[in-house]
Amino acid sequence: MTSERILCPVCQVAFLLKEEKVPGKRVVCPVCGAVLVLEKGDASWVLRRPQDITPEEEIRARVENFARLRGYRFNEMKEPLIEALLKKYERYGDFYCPCKIDNIPENICPCLETRQGSVERNGRCHCGLFWK
Amino acid sequence: MKYVMLYALSTCPFCKMAKHFFESRNIPYNFVDVDLLPEEEQEKTVAEVQRISGRRAFPVIVIGEEVIVGYDELRIREALEK
Repeated sequence: MTSERILCPVCQVAFLLKEEKVPGKRVVCPVCGAVLVLEKGDASWVLRRPQDITPEEEIRARVENFARLRGYRFNEMKEPLIEALLKKYERYGDFYCPCKIDNIPENICPCLETRQGSVERNGRCHCGLFWK
Repeated sequence: MKYVMLYALSTCPFCKMAKHFFESRNIPYNFVDVDLLPEEEQEKTVAEVQRISGRRAFPVIVIGEEVIVGYDELRIREALEK
């Protein structure tokens, strides 16, 4: 069993995957919490976003995983924000931050500033989805 | 009565809370949902928001001379009372 760095297609961070590699295996990105599927690419293993779950299932699993990984909690703002993320997905094709104007990769939820510790500094992420 | 301007996004729950704050207290305010503006106007407005707040995130609330970035009820109250 070899460890190799593998790129998360959501947060674009490469992480070390120590687990046994099996095609179709579900993997959670330790950086952003995205649920991913392991596939054998041309030269190496790749991770893709699952095609067999709905957008709502995908974003719910991702934010739950991210909160668990970081020890964050949710409150009553969670449901309006899930709804808002789904609206962004419908309009712009991905789960871009509902409180930012730019629909760019670094604003995909959990956004870069959140992954870089804004919840630790401010007690919550800018939108109020993740709370310390 | 101070001039109140709310720069918002239609998708942002804190922006909705800010609208509710002013409406429920009958405080006259102006607002714009920046993401719903036509492209050219949107660019101009975002540039203005960035100039006054240093960010491209919402809500941004202007009360008189004060600029409040994010929904901070305490700061809104204080700015209205000043």
